[in-house]
Amino acid sequence: MNFLKIFVRNLVNGPSTVSFPFGPAWTPARMRGRIEFKLPSCTGCRACEQVCAPGAIRFDKTPEGLRFMMWHNTCVFCGLCEFYCPTDAIHQSDDWHMAHAVDQKFSMAIRELIPYTNCSACGMKTLASAPNPVGINPPYTPEEIEQHRQLCPACRKKALAERGNPS
Amino acid sequence: MSENFTIPVGPLHVALEEPMYFRIEVHGETVSKVTINAGHVHRGVEYLITKRNVFQNIVLTERICSLCSNSHPQAFAMAIEQIAGLKIPPRAEYLRTIADEIKRIASHLFNVGILAHLVGFESLFMHVMEVRERMQDVKECTFGNRMDIGANTIGGVRYDIDDERISFIRQQLSSIEKEIDELITIYSTDNSILRRTKGVGVLSQQDALDCGVVGPVARAAGIHYDVRIKAPYAAYDRLDVAVHTFQDGDVWSRAMVRLYEARTAIDIIRQSLDSLPAGPTVATDERPPIPAGEAIAKCEAPRGELIYYVRMADSPKPERVKWRVPSFLNWDALGIMLDRAKISDIAIIVNSIDPCISCTER
Repeated sequence: MNFLKIFVRNLVNGPSTVSFPFGPAWTPARMRGRIEFKLPSCTGCRACEQVCAPGAIRFDKTPEGLRFMMWHNTCVFCGLCEFYCPTDAIHQSDDWHMAHAVDQKFSMAIRELIPYTNCSACGMKTLASAPNPVGINPPYTPEEIEQHRQLCPACRKKALAERGNPS
Repeated sequence: MSENFTIPVGPLHVALEEPMYFRIEVHGETVSKVTINAGHVHRGVEYLITKRNVFQNIVLTERICSLCSNSHPQAFAMAIEQIAGLKIPPRAEYLRTIADEIKRIASHLFNVGILAHLVGFESLFMHVMEVRERMQDVKECTFGNRMDIGANTIGGVRYDIDDERISFIRQQLSSIEKEIDELITIYSTDNSILRRTKGVGVLSQQDALDCGVVGPVARAAGIHYDVRIKAPYAAYDRLDVAVHTFQDGDVWSRAMVRLYEARTAIDIIRQSLDSLPAGPTVATDERPPIPAGEAIAKCEAPRGELIYYVRMADSPKPERVKWRVPSFLNWDALGIMLDRAKISDIAIIVNSIDPCISCTER
């Protein structure tokens, strides 16, 4: 008899399902969905590649630079890449609309290139990646990031030493 | 007329949607012998785990089983932290407890719901699943995923909760609390449930001790054993955890233990939220180096005691990982529970141990 009360209550309250795909589906803000990549923030440290459980993220050295590649269909949405990324260059959005036609399966990927450049101080060929912010106090300003991007690792060290507080 | 037959039960749709094959010899309507055949979902995880580094393995262990998907990475992380000598911050301990209990509520309600489904009480099944859906909402909002919540990492937790989320969790808990109290009343008074579950699939206390069963199956047979009390991990040593035991050891007792534990889990989450300390959520921001060594860690998964053994050599990949899952022991007790049971009760009895085939066969 107890259940009859619940039954009537549920009948009065109506369905608790949503009418997706005919209506909108509620998505929480923290939903771990499609990976987004911000090339300007990437330091090329390859932490995401090392922690990526299914091997969806890959870095390749090409003549033009360091290529970042990420396959959405291999991703398991665990969020480790975002967790270990020192600059939040990789981010999980709340977009879960990943259905696609078979002929688009090779376009379900992120392909970005961190190009080579010549160091503005010594002229050596180097990657134009963002500087690693770990242990830098006070944090880099946006101008400093752009300045360091054009420096080779040795010149970055030198610039940090001149900056005063490299820990 | 009574004759002897051999009938196959499974491998599909015995109780849950996981494959498990039973060869059952029956005398008329009564089971006389059970042979359990496993191996349908063997995925070679023990091999795979030695081919990935410890950080990737947090994700791999999480995907061994969806219902205990917080306990596996937690036990694995605890073992690695022992090897590395990491001490996780107090806030992380409480957050691990909260994640563990949220998963426990959802897992127990799922099993109790399936029981209603197997009894043929579909409207109750739907209702239990609707109650459970609130917990799924909590998981989705707090962790970003409905099953693989990804709460743990080596050295702490990967999520944090602010005041807004705490008030959301509290609000969901108070709504689910009333519903679970209602469910406890229904499961202990409704005739449709009682007729099919009381005195069915009995496992006596002695048999339970002999089989070494763990978790709700042991507690329903009167064995007062809970890892959260006997070997507290995370923040359980600072919280008041009630252990529920029943004496009958039948299907009904196991369902009631689960319902009461879901109820207790609400109290545990509330206590944790009340005394949640401030501070960092991980021991170190960077990936900690893991030295060679070996460790054993255990935690109370929704199905019972889960033990992890990890051995690390001079490599970021584990040399050997072995885990003893709760279903492995409970599974063995099925032979005793199914003895002289009716054919129609087989599914109910199998479901009552909350079998996790994916964990057991990995």
